[in-house]
Amino acid sequence: MSVWLQILDLAGAALVFVGAAICLLGVIGMLRLPDVLSRSHAATKPQTLGMLLVLAGVALRLRSGMDLATLALIGFFQLMTGPVAAHLVARSAYRTGQIDHGELLFDELDEQLTEEN
Amino acid sequence: MKRLLRLSFRNKDLPPFSCEFAGRRRRVLDLPLIAWLTLIWVLLWSSPNPANLLTGAIVAVAVCLAFPLPRVDLGLRLHPWGILMLAGYLLYDMYTSGVRVTRQIFVDHPHRAAVIAVPLRCRSDLMLAATAVAVSNVPGGSVVEVRRATATVFLHVLDADRPAVLDAARRSVWRLERLTVRAFGTADEIARVAAPSPPTAPDREADA
Repeated sequence: MSVWLQILDLAGAALVFVGAAICLLGVIGMLRLPDVLSRSHAATKPQTLGMLLVLAGVALRLRSGMDLATLALIGFFQLMTGPVAAHLVARSAYRTGQIDHGELLFDELDEQLTEEN
Repeated sequence: MKRLLRLSFRNKDLPPFSCEFAGRRRRVLDLPLIAWLTLIWVLLWSSPNPANLLTGAIVAVAVCLAFPLPRVDLGLRLHPWGILMLAGYLLYDMYTSGVRVTRQIFVDHPHRAAVIAVPLRCRSDLMLAATAVAVSNVPGGSVVEVRRATATVFLHVLDADRPAVLDAARRSVWRLERLTVRAFGTADEIARVAAPSPPTAPDREADA
């Protein structure tokens, strides 16, 4: 029995480690990518995955019903709020002209915005 | 005497599952919302004892009275199988998304990004928001702008100099829309996304 518990502990530790490593990748991406919109890719996607892996690892080590529910709640809010924050950053960056339009291959949003004005 | 509390099944002009406070100002409470807030409260305290349930319900009612939400027609249906499918695809997509963004981070040649418009088939606010949230969790793009009038999502796509990537981004948005609507949508919307042909894409797709 205790062998299984040890295996669970070990798997949990591995998940936490992998999750933290993926979050680190996101940070490296923030440093390497050139502009706001590209950086928002690196800031949201690996980070969400890493966060979920850390939560799963912690869940494997805690193993009690109520703690699992709290962890699920954390994951749910992460999934709900992360995209909203990223969208707001991207939108305000775009609207305030922080985007280098020359760098973009093409831009279908700009066409629509200029058509309206 | 004026009744203080009115329940929706006695009063047809209230939305379903809600009750109305006839105080100085008229306030409509949404019972599922209160149940959900109470559940969050109990989860935050991590013990489901009666005291927590009671304080949770009180806090939820107080919050709903203090910050009334505009009345929207949600059109929310829950399809358990659809939700499972959506969760499965989201997890898988999130994994591939992490791998792809990682690869893009370490690739040395500069990639050209682009902003593309993807028209959706559903017009309801809830489906639009849910699809946008789902899309920004998966590979392909991050949402820059959502246009409600035309139900169009604008995505920022890395690696846009390869037409296959753009095509894949559009396809993945439409697939996520289908999954989202099958998880939460009404029968009418499910029928709409089941239509085989994707909506007419902008001219750009022809030459891309």
